[in-house]
Amino acid sequence: MERKSKYLVISILMICAILLGACGPAAPQTIKIGVNAPITGDIPKVGEGTKFAAEMWAEDINAAGGLEIGGKKYQVELIIEDNESKAESAVAANTKMITQDEVLIIIGPQASKQAVPAGQVANDNKTPMISPWSTNPNTTLNRPWVFRACFLDDFQGPAVANFVTEEFGFTKAAVLYDIASDYPKGLAEFFKKAWEGLHGAGSVVAYESFTTKDTDFSAQLTKIRDSGAEFLFTPQYYNEVALIAQQAHQLGFTGPIVGSDSWGSAELIPLCGEDCYGAFFTTHYAAAGATGATKAFIDAYNAKHGYIPDDVAALTWDAFNLAKKAMEDCGKITGDIAADRACVKDALSKVTGFEGITGTMTFTPGSGDPSKCAVIVKISDKGEFTFYKQSCP
Amino acid sequence: MKPPIDNSTPTPRKGIRRLWHSFRQLFAQTPLLGWLFGFLLASILENLIGYPLARVLGLSKIPVLFGVDIALKTPLLLPATLLYDLIIYIIPLFLTVRYLTPFANRLAAWLLRAPMWVSALIHMALLFLVLYLWTGINDYRVLVAKLMMVSIIITLSLNVVNGYMGEFSCSHPGFIALGAYIASIITVGFFVGGNLKFVILPAYLAPLVFPLALILGGVVAALGALLVAIPSFRTRGDYLAIISLAFMFIVKSMFENLEILGGARGFGDQPNLATLPVVFIWTMLCIWIINNFVQSTMGKALNAVRDNELAADAMTVDTRKTKMVTFLFAAFWAGIAGGLLAHVIRYVNPGTFGLQKLAEVLAMVYFGGLNSVIGSIVGAIGYNLLSEMLRPLELIKWLIIPLLLILVMIFRPTGLIAFREFDLHKILQPKIPAKMEEVENVPPSS
Amino acid sequence: MDTFLQNVVNALQWGSFYALIALGYSMVYGVLMLFNFAHGDIFMVGSYIGFFIATGLIGLSTLGIISLPGWVILILTILIAMILTSFVGMLVERIGYRPLRNAPRASAAITGLMIGIIFETANLYLLGASRRKFPEIIDTSIFQIGNVSLTNTKIFIVIISLLFMLALNQFIQHTKWGMAIRAMAYDFTVVPLMGVPVNTIAALTFGLGSALAAAAGVFYGMAYPVLDPYMGIEYGWKSFVAAILGGRGSVIGTVIAGFLMGFLDIFVATYFPSTMRNLISFSIILVILTFRPHGFFGRAYSAQLRL
Repeated sequence: MERKSKYLVISILMICAILLGACGPAAPQTIKIGVNAPITGDIPKVGEGTKFAAEMWAEDINAAGGLEIGGKKYQVELIIEDNESKAESAVAANTKMITQDEVLIIIGPQASKQAVPAGQVANDNKTPMISPWSTNPNTTLNRPWVFRACFLDDFQGPAVANFVTEEFGFTKAAVLYDIASDYPKGLAEFFKKAWEGLHGAGSVVAYESFTTKDTDFSAQLTKIRDSGAEFLFTPQYYNEVALIAQQAHQLGFTGPIVGSDSWGSAELIPLCGEDCYGAFFTTHYAAAGATGATKAFIDAYNAKHGYIPDDVAALTWDAFNLAKKAMEDCGKITGDIAADRACVKDALSKVTGFEGITGTMTFTPGSGDPSKCAVIVKISDKGEFTFYKQSCP
Repeated sequence: MKPPIDNSTPTPRKGIRRLWHSFRQLFAQTPLLGWLFGFLLASILENLIGYPLARVLGLSKIPVLFGVDIALKTPLLLPATLLYDLIIYIIPLFLTVRYLTPFANRLAAWLLRAPMWVSALIHMALLFLVLYLWTGINDYRVLVAKLMMVSIIITLSLNVVNGYMGEFSCSHPGFIALGAYIASIITVGFFVGGNLKFVILPAYLAPLVFPLALILGGVVAALGALLVAIPSFRTRGDYLAIISLAFMFIVKSMFENLEILGGARGFGDQPNLATLPVVFIWTMLCIWIINNFVQSTMGKALNAVRDNELAADAMTVDTRKTKMVTFLFAAFWAGIAGGLLAHVIRYVNPGTFGLQKLAEVLAMVYFGGLNSVIGSIVGAIGYNLLSEMLRPLELIKWLIIPLLLILVMIFRPTGLIAFREFDLHKILQPKIPAKMEEVENVPPSS
Repeated sequence: MDTFLQNVVNALQWGSFYALIALGYSMVYGVLMLFNFAHGDIFMVGSYIGFFIATGLIGLSTLGIISLPGWVILILTILIAMILTSFVGMLVERIGYRPLRNAPRASAAITGLMIGIIFETANLYLLGASRRKFPEIIDTSIFQIGNVSLTNTKIFIVIISLLFMLALNQFIQHTKWGMAIRAMAYDFTVVPLMGVPVNTIAALTFGLGSALAAAAGVFYGMAYPVLDPYMGIEYGWKSFVAAILGGRGSVIGTVIAGFLMGFLDIFVATYFPSTMRNLISFSIILVILTFRPHGFFGRAYSAQLRL
């Protein structure tokens, strides 16, 4: 008797399930955006910046009633996945967000080590993806569905070389970079090429490297000091810059130190102190003296989290606004996820003259790389990042 | 089913215990075949009514890994996911086990009349069918299953060295890297081109060349292992630990410096050759071969070397040769796993094969259990599933997983399932209960 | 020549860290035959403890609550950090190692590895993702001798590290406890039967090793003032290599191996393309081990090494 009733319950449940479930999906009232961020692992600060910027953006949009697309308002839902700073995990996170959560677009991953394989997944599954921070050419190469929000190394390297030549008239350069990390390595190579193009072969008198997580650069810096280089170019992350600048000065190196956009963190000055005063670097935006939307973003972020946002947060913010622009350009959300994704991708590749907080971006069809200007920042004697010059492609 | 009525006044605990006992009795009688039928039924059910059921329960999609990730993200959905799991997995499993067990037992017995490999193949085919249907729901499941199977190969091969041989080797990430790069060089060089280009062969040859590429990757990894083995096995001691560690650093540094392979930028664009069946076949092959290896005379000699090298030597075991061959054999399989991994992720980067990977593979081996094939399988699957399911917890995940491992180590110092032989016959055979137990546990008829 | 001398100075400082950390590994390895893979992270914990003490003391001084000169703050920081970290080390031994005394050795290595991960994650969880700047306790002054630049911190670090190593050696060679430690390293199956309290000795070795790691952590903070939760990993593993290279249970051997690691790192980067640093320095270690398989000062041991 009891056994029978159990069957009855199960079969009724199943029939109900089939009948009710057959109603099919309704058009979505929310738009899902995936975020693939390195919250744990080697670069937790990057993950934190990404997450904070993403959450801030979503709160702003939702507080204003949602994203308005084709006259209809949609709430935004963020799906934040941790890629643990590992390639496998970034691939798994992307696959999950694309197939399970059915996100419309993915923002991230940040580091190229994760962005290159994750971009493959996004491209294969026909889902648009914007990496805010990855500078490796392979991230977007031959992948119509993958975009980025930053400029590329082949623009930034020569920009630095031109700036130093014009500003100081130096002819002998030294480079110190991390060989095991693709961003500094790529940039160092492009800089070397550009510098030697300007000053002839052999004008990079010291081309030294180290491995990720090294903290003692004395051997390399001793070589650089003794090579007669007039300045040091070091496209490193801010935590390493602090050590490099300090050790260079302790070893008696007196020339200027020049860096790249990876210096652009509010943490640089607390870590580096006076050793970094007077240094120059190229970046996306100058926090001190910023105006308009850039200033609004910095102030809002600072008020909420208590520090000036890093460049990665600013780029993430821009990536989100790019996605917003593309969705608005798209005109309508049908609820058919494949069609919507294709529509967003097409709209993204046609974005021109987008005013981001890190500069004006224009995408050319067939390439996911924006053309945008770089800013050269000087670190003042008070430790502020002040605007010095602009360099455009 | 009503719990059996006891004449003495039953305390609740006793009743539960009794229930648990009869529950176990029920399951103890089920052969592997019965379980496979149960899972098959569950996956068919999920394919048929999974989506509508999920919608009814208020879930937007089929819960991908038993709903753990959903429940962790939005705890309000916990009852819904539990109900889903109950309807799709637990009830069908229970029903199959309850009613198909006699049939499965008879079938298993009948199958065993033929040579064992027939039965084994049929079991494997069923297993693959289950896997295929289960992963058919969602690409994420496919990826998780593939990574899990690659992990099984890695864990098994490391267990051969760290468990069966009793040495502490740290070079596995290096071997995996060698296999990954060599296999990628061949597939990319022959079928994709780009920076590295040999001759571009027609694409239909790729599935045929892929096994060769994997094997070559394994062979190169084994050659690398020779470099470690020659200095390490001159004496007994912990020198293998640091020599192998040095080897791992050397391999990583070498690939960082090889510009032709992309250096630190990594090496991508591998063709999509590691499909689910391919990875499945390699995993089964690996389990079979490694199991045969550890049960062979060589494997027994290996255990003898581990337990007492001098005594083994006295008993005419060539200890040095045994250790060398074993180490090379393990490295070969790590290389195969590397090749597969590179084609699952379709990108390799020297940074992947560092200390983080080392901690991960060591954790899988010791979590599952030393000296045991089953243990390694359990370890790899358990670690991977846990790692994927706890993903929404972010940082907390890396407090929970280590804590869990510490607890496992404290309460079962050799791992969950250690020192257990993988006896194919025992696994495939029917499980007919002893008469006595049957009498004792007959459920009262209603 | 100047370059060479400059690099000798650099290598001495760099090698002191390896040597101090490696001693902790080496003692645990000598006494218990265990790899304490949490040691790199104990170094990290020591460095953070030093950071908090130094920041606190400097803060109190600037507020005028106490007035201490820089060198007193420095000594206090080092001593307090060493004491607190040695408790952390003993705690690790109690939780992760003592329950596994009779388990296979590798299991304890795994618990160590996992305790290390817990330290890293807990740090990230409690203190956030920002890196910390180690405060400047004493003003750095730079001396130029010829073309070789020296800083007072560099000299201080090298000298104090050597003093610590000497003190440890004296302790091991000339005290009763030291004798017990040496005896355990000699034969750890028989010695406990002779009435040597294994648990006390184990706690002592973990405590001493962690105290040295804390000293290394504070020195590290002075020389490379950027702290992050993962700073101990690479160091830990490389020092582990140095510890075994030195020979089991030999203080002098470990110190020499630690300095060797430092010199290899610096000089390979100087005279070879620095990209090849890990490749070449580890290849050299591989060659050394091929010809001296028991390390510098190790003896061939026949004790049962299971798993």
